[in-house]
Amino acid sequence: MSSKFDHDVIVIGGGPAGSSFARVAAGAGLDVLVVDKRKEIGVPVRCGEGLGSLEILKQGFVLPRACYSIEIEGAKVYAPNGKSITWRGEDTAGWVLERKVFDKWLCELAIEKGARVHTYTRAVGVVKDEKGRPQGVKVSHGGKEPYEISAPLIVSAEGMESMIARELGFKTVHSLYDVDTCYEYEMKPYNHENLIELYFGNEAAPRGYVWIFPKADKKANVGIGVGGLVQNGTKQGGIKGADPKTLLDAFVKKDEQLKDASTLLDFGGVISVGSPIDEFTRDNCMVIGTAAKQVDPIHGGGIGLAIDTGIMAAGTAIKAHERKDFSKNMLMEYETVWRRQKSPTLANRLKLRKILEKVSDDDLNHIFNTLNKEDLQKVMSSDFAPVAMKVLAGRPQLLAVLRGLMS
Amino acid sequence: MITIKHDGCIFCVGCSSVCPASAIEAVGTRMKTYPEKCIDCGLCVKVCPANVICLYKGVKDEKDLPAGAR
Ligand SMILES: Cc1cc2nc3c(=O)[nH]c(=O)nc-3n(C[C@H](O)[C@H](O)[C@H](O)COP(=O)(O)OP(=O)(O)OC[C@H]3O[C@@H](n4cnc5c(N)ncnc54)[C@H](O)[C@@H]3O)c2cc1C
Ligand code: SF4
Ligand code: SF4
Repeated sequence: MSSKFDHDVIVIGGGPAGSSFARVAAGAGLDVLVVDKRKEIGVPVRCGEGLGSLEILKQGFVLPRACYSIEIEGAKVYAPNGKSITWRGEDTAGWVLERKVFDKWLCELAIEKGARVHTYTRAVGVVKDEKGRPQGVKVSHGGKEPYEISAPLIVSAEGMESMIARELGFKTVHSLYDVDTCYEYEMKPYNHENLIELYFGNEAAPRGYVWIFPKADKKANVGIGVGGLVQNGTKQGGIKGADPKTLLDAFVKKDEQLKDASTLLDFGGVISVGSPIDEFTRDNCMVIGTAAKQVDPIHGGGIGLAIDTGIMAAGTAIKAHERKDFSKNMLMEYETVWRRQKSPTLANRLKLRKILEKVSDDDLNHIFNTLNKEDLQKVMSSDFAPVAMKVLAGRPQLLAVLRGLMS
Repeated sequence: MITIKHDGCIFCVGCSSVCPASAIEAVGTRMKTYPEKCIDCGLCVKVCPANVICLYKGVKDEKDLPAGAR
C-alpha cells in the first residue's frame, strides 16, 4: 500500500459486529485488520445463543447447519403464577446457535473477503497524532511487548468491556441500573417442544427473567438475568439472596425436569439493557455492536443488531476511504442512519422494560390473564396503547404505572 | 483495591464492563486488576454473578492486604 498507514482500518474485536464490518469493508477492497484478544474466536461462549431468524434472513445469509444447534418455532412465556402463552410465528422463530461455530463462521467469511485476523492479540492503547486524533493502536500478542500498528480508522467492536473505546473518548462504562447480571448452565437431559421458554416474576428473577433455550441432544441453556441494582443481598442495597446463581439454583430445584438434570457448563455474564451510548463516532474512530450498547433493552440480545450495525458502519467506512475523509462529520453518516432506523423501536422497548420493572407479580399475573397472542404481537411492535387500555379496564389502579405507555 | 478469587471466577467480564476506572480487564484467561487505578467504588463487587470479588477500601498494594485476603 502506498499510504503511510499499515492498514486502511483496524477493527478491535472479532465478534459478530467486528467480523461483519470486516467482511463488508474487505469485500470493497479495503485493507482490514481484525485483532481479538481471545485465543480462539468465539471462545469462551458468553451467551444464551438465541437468535431470531428474521434478523439474519434479511441480510441474505444462509446459515450453515453447523452454526446452530436446533431450529426454534416460537416462544412460550410464563407468568409468575405458572400460566403460559405459547406463540409460534415468523417473528419468534429462529435458532439456538452454536455460538462458537457461528462466530468463527462469520469471521471466516471476512477472511474469505480478504480481511486479516489476528487472535490472542489484545489492543492495549491508542496511538494519536499531535492533534490528538487516533492513528493506530498498540497491540500485544500473547502478552508480549506491545507494538504499534497504524490506520486512519479505528473501529471498536469490543463488546461489553470496551476498554479501548473508553480511551478513544466514548462513554461506554455500564451503570448497574442498566445491566442484568446473568448466570447460566448448560444442562442435560431436557425434553422440549422446539420453543424457547421465558419465565417472568420478581420472585424467580427480580427485574429480569429465566430463560430455557433448548439445544440438540436433549440439552438446554438454562439461564437467569437479574437487575444489576437488585442483585446480591449480601452486599449493600440489593435484595437479600438475590444473586443470579442462588436464584437459578432455586428455579432449577423447583422445575420438574431440571431438578434431576446434570450441568455440563457453568457460565455467566453481564448484559446491557439500557440505551445506546450518546455518540458512536469521533474523528478517525467508531464504535459498533454491544460496545456501543446496541442491544435490545428487554432481553439484552445483541447478535442481530451487532451484525446489522457492522454492515451499516462498513458502508460508511468505504465512503470515508474513497474520500480520504475520516472526520467525525463523514463518519456520522453511520450514526445518523442507525439512529433513524433503530432508535425508535429500541426506545419503546426501553420504555416497556422500565414499566415492567415496576409491576408486581400479582399485577403481572393479571396482565397475562388479560392478554392474548394478538395483544402480545402489538406489544412487540410497540403498539402499546390499546393493550394498556385493555389491562386497565380490569385493573384501573395500574394507571400510574402504565401511563407512560398510553401516549 | 479489590481481590478476585480466581478459582470461582467464571470469566464473564461483568466487573470490567461496569468499572468506571478501567481497573479490571480480561487478559489471557484471567481477569487482571490494576490496583493503582481502583477508586474503591465497589460496583464490580455488586455486579459479579459469581460473588468472588472482595473490596479492601484504602489498600493500594497487595502486600498491605490483611492476612488471608490473597
Ligand atoms: C449471559 C449472556 C447471554 C446472552 N444471550 C444472548 C442471546 O441469547 N441472544 C443474543 O442475541 N444476544 C445474547 N447476548 C448478547 C450477545 O452475546 C452480544 O450482544 C453479542 O456478542 C455482541 O456482539 P459484538 O460483536 O458486539 O461483541 P462480542 O461478541 O462481545 O465480541 C467482542 C470481541 O472483542 C474482543 N475484545 C474486547 N476487547 C479487546 C481488546 N482490547 N483487544 C482485542 N480484542 C478485544 C473480545 O475478545 C470479543 O471477542 C448475551 C450476553 C450474555 C453475557
Ligand atoms: S472497586 Fe470500583 S474502581 Fe475498583 S475495580 Fe471495582 S469497579 Fe473498578
Ligand atoms: S464479574 Fe466476577 S465472575 Fe465475572 S469476570 Fe469479574 S470476577 Fe469473574
